[in-house]
Amino acid sequence: MNIEKILNGTELTIALDGRLDANTADELETEIVNSLEGITGLIIDLDKLEYVSSAGLRVFLLTYKKMVKQGEMKIVNVNEDVMSIFEMTEFTDILDINKKEENK
Amino acid sequence: MKLIQKLRSSMAFNIIGSIIIVLLIFGILVSTLGYFIFTDTFKREYSTTTYHMADTAASLVNGDHLDDYLEGREQEEYQQTRELLQGFCLKMNVTMVYVILVDRSDYGRFVSVFNPINNAVDNSEYTEWELGHERDTTNDEYRRKYQAVYEQQVPYETVYRIKTTDGQHSHITTLVPIIGSDGNVSAILCMQRPFSELFNAARPYLIVIAAATIILAALASIFIALFIRKQFVNPVRKITKEATRFSKENTIGEPLGSVSRIEEISNLAGSIDTMEHDMVSYIDNLTAVTAENERIGTEMALASRIQSTSVPNTFPPFLDRKEFDIYASMTPAKEVGGDFYNFYWIDDDHLAVVIGDVSGKGIPGALFMMVTNILTNQAAQSMGRPAEILAHVNEDLCKHNRVDMFVTLWLGILDTKTGRIVAANAGHEYPAIQHGGEFSLLKDKHGFVLGGMPGMKYTEYEITLAPGDKLFVYTDGIPEATNSNKELLGTDRMIDILNKDSSASPEGIINNIYKSIDDFVGKAEQFDDITMLCLEYKGKDDQDNEH
Repeated sequence: MNIEKILNGTELTIALDGRLDANTADELETEIVNSLEGITGLIIDLDKLEYVSSAGLRVFLLTYKKMVKQGEMKIVNVNEDVMSIFEMTEFTDILDINKKEENK
Repeated sequence: MKLIQKLRSSMAFNIIGSIIIVLLIFGILVSTLGYFIFTDTFKREYSTTTYHMADTAASLVNGDHLDDYLEGREQEEYQQTRELLQGFCLKMNVTMVYVILVDRSDYGRFVSVFNPINNAVDNSEYTEWELGHERDTTNDEYRRKYQAVYEQQVPYETVYRIKTTDGQHSHITTLVPIIGSDGNVSAILCMQRPFSELFNAARPYLIVIAAATIILAALASIFIALFIRKQFVNPVRKITKEATRFSKENTIGEPLGSVSRIEEISNLAGSIDTMEHDMVSYIDNLTAVTAENERIGTEMALASRIQSTSVPNTFPPFLDRKEFDIYASMTPAKEVGGDFYNFYWIDDDHLAVVIGDVSGKGIPGALFMMVTNILTNQAAQSMGRPAEILAHVNEDLCKHNRVDMFVTLWLGILDTKTGRIVAANAGHEYPAIQHGGEFSLLKDKHGFVLGGMPGMKYTEYEITLAPGDKLFVYTDGIPEATNSNKELLGTDRMIDILNKDSSASPEGIINNIYKSIDDFVGKAEQFDDITMLCLEYKGKDDQDNEH
């Protein structure tokens, strides 16, 4: 999996590419936890994410818990397969998750 | 033969041998060069001395009366001069002197005036030329030199006969002019002296050089041999012995320390000392790690047994209950896993069925799974409603959750009298229900995963199973089983597999799924835990009811 970070002031965009499973979740956790200081807006771009496992969901949840205290967090460009996982686990109920807008 | 082989491979022997050869070559070079320089110097010295002697002899001869002597005049003076020259020969150890007048047209002939001989000097057998004896010049060398002396180009000339071919002893002949009162050269005096003194002097010189070389070679060899032995051979032997000992015993020995003044050898010894320390600490480390690994392995095997026996694992589990048939299996990707299933009685007619999946595998997943399993069981025993049970377990898990792990969980309570299931789903996979003919996914109402956030509410729903209907619940290890092309199995394929033999018993259904997953995954590694449970409702058991 590839992790790409773009920092714009206090707004951080993290774009994920590949499969977020038990093998890559630790890497993402370290990456995110180490870059959250002073961040008030976090956008996680899942445009190129093919798959997310429960270990990956855990990273999103703990990131969310940190971001609640310091600003906003958004997950964007979620494709259908990943969206179904968010829906099944009801992460859609907790996190601000936005589907990929195919029509645009 | 063995000794020769040993000597050949011995470094000291090779080095000393090379040194001896080099010294011998050096000795030969020095003595040859010395011999030439010596001969050259000796020849020059000898000829100078001879020149002075010849010059002295020449002063005895009256250069103005030579023609008179030849013509028989001045006989008294001739006899006096002859005796003087004869005496000179005897006293000065000269082989012979001859005074000659050379034909100056081509220097090809000469006539002898005096010729005293002293055969005793060199054991020679010369006979004296009488006065007026005429003779051809011996060779061109003499011819040239007669001319040079006559024309006073040089003070004197020397002819060397060091290697003679005509049986004569080696000798030198010095040619000096006899000058008349008019300042012209009137004759040549030749003085012949033996040259054997050169060899007499050269031999001891050569012997000294040879002896010096041999002694030097011997001394150098002994010195180098001692040096090599002390600084090289013995240290290397010591190092070899220590290395051999170390490879057998693997213990740190006496430090070799500074075994040699040769830096490379000393460094080698130092490296061996360091290596021993490193190796021993490495071996200790490795032993500790191996022991630790063994301990972990044993513990993991035990943990695995504890986990697999923490849920019902003998089938059929309730021999006296005929209302339903149930079968389940749990296969962690590692020794222990985060998946689990469970089922237990809440009362005589109500069976709670649980399947869960922790967001993590291995030991953390297993610990979290054990906690969830126990909390769920306790909650289920004290509360009747699945939504309540899940909300309660969620609060409990959130309270102590410091690692942000969560668990997806489906819980259903089957009324064995009616086949009605009241269920709630905390973010878990959709159950598959066989109602009548075929299996299909039940897109039930989900709540949030357990342990994620406190204060979550869960909704309940009902499923009613007619006799022969089946419920199949599973963890994401099944739809997310991945083949080597990175394709997921997916729920559609899972439903197809279930429907291949939908009338099979719960055990048959689960075995079919296993087999199909194996076929699908092929050689790819199993990454996720795989857990599933299948329940078939058979209908109310009248006998049991009477009981």
